[in-house]
Amino acid sequence: MLYLLRAFGHDAHGESDGNAAIEAVREGGFAVVLADILMPGVDGYEFARRMKSDSRLRATPLVAVTALAMPEDRKRIADAGFEGCITKPIEPETFVAQVEAFLAPDPG
Amino acid sequence: MHEATFSLGDIAGSRFPLLEYAPDAIVIAGADGRIRLVNAQTERLFGYYREELIGQEVEILVPARYRGKHVADRSEYYAEPRVRPMGMGMELYGLRKDGSEFPVEISLSPITTKDGTFMASAIRDVTERRAFQARLQKLNAELESASNAKDRFLATMSHELRTPLNAILGFTGTLLMKLPGPLTAEQERQLEIVRGSARHLLSLITDVLDLAKIESGKWELAAEPVALRDVVAEIAASLGPLADQKGLAFAASIAEDIPPLVTDRRALHQILLNLTSNAIKYTETGSVGIDARAAECDGRSGIAVRVTDTGIGIKDEDLQRLFQAFEQLDPTSTRRFEGTGLGLYLSRNLARLIGGELHVTSEHGAGSTFTLVLPLSREAA
Repeated sequence: MLYLLRAFGHDAHGESDGNAAIEAVREGGFAVVLADILMPGVDGYEFARRMKSDSRLRATPLVAVTALAMPEDRKRIADAGFEGCITKPIEPETFVAQVEAFLAPDPG
Repeated sequence: MHEATFSLGDIAGSRFPLLEYAPDAIVIAGADGRIRLVNAQTERLFGYYREELIGQEVEILVPARYRGKHVADRSEYYAEPRVRPMGMGMELYGLRKDGSEFPVEISLSPITTKDGTFMASAIRDVTERRAFQARLQKLNAELESASNAKDRFLATMSHELRTPLNAILGFTGTLLMKLPGPLTAEQERQLEIVRGSARHLLSLITDVLDLAKIESGKWELAAEPVALRDVVAEIAASLGPLADQKGLAFAASIAEDIPPLVTDRRALHQILLNLTSNAIKYTETGSVGIDARAAECDGRSGIAVRVTDTGIGIKDEDLQRLFQAFEQLDPTSTRRFEGTGLGLYLSRNLARLIGGELHVTSEHGAGSTFTLVLPLSREAA
């Protein structure tokens, strides 16, 4: 996914650890955050909770990218504060466009 | 209330020994709580000779720990005597002469005689029923536990199987989009095969998961008003290009007067998508069509949606095998007709789930018609 986003001209950064990810997001400057749900240590729900309870980070769009497909999971994801959900496996042809849809429109 | 015309003695000496031979223990006591009359079953259940019980307080038949409450309840009952079961929602026990206890159900009724109002209680030994209930509860708990385990397994399997596909589909995608660089014709060909297989695997996983959900009753059945027209339009949009590619004519016609439909949209969409995709897949020349009209479903009003094609058709002897899982009728042509083999099986199960049925008629070499018959709504009488 990083490869795809960079290939389409975006500046993409990835972390494989939930804690490091929160720190990175806090450092700021990200237009949208994609998070998996099932991760060791800090899982997607916990990550969402931390991000959304931080007033500086709350406004940044948070999108889940996960293989969880059951309706209960979808509801839980929405309730946790994710603005959207992209299913894994991703469709490489449309993935970047899907992510771009969550970007705030350019001012001016 | 009519005036009492008989006395207790009349009951005891009755020519009609209904009381004596009643299948439940009958104990008649007075306002003072003393037993006046019992029957044969009372002797049997509690292990007393009746002479030992007559004149005793009725609490002799109640385990010690409940006696206090029982006395209080008695006065309460006499204040407002009527026919009713005793101790609703409570577990009641009877006390035998030998000190052992057994679970009981008790019903009470007042008897107004010339000698005053007495209380008759019918007592039933429910030991077996309680044991049965306990077994049932245990079984239910086990079933639920097993069901939860299965659901967790399904959810986990779904996730585990889909995750590696992300890398496979993702990177074959980026390679075929030539993002890392140009490809030779042969490289492109091989990558397309890999991607095709990965996509096939993905639809297999999705189908199997859907099937598992249906079979374990986990498919959340929605019931909403569905505009059939819209569903068919979506299918036409998804599959139309495919039909065009094969040079097939594709047309959808929904009758103007079809009544409104209330059903599970996702299920309906999936069935029609599968039928139409099959129709296009198995047709080399000619046309594929979808039409819908009002029809009868199971004696109630409904809708029939037909998917017709001028494809290879199905032999009579093969119609039987059609809806079985993983059956594709012509094993030699599997490469031409790629599919999971689960489509019709799933569609038939889905159809049943939403209260409908899937039928097929076909002429080998000329074409087939698959008809989905649906009731207008599951609740409609």
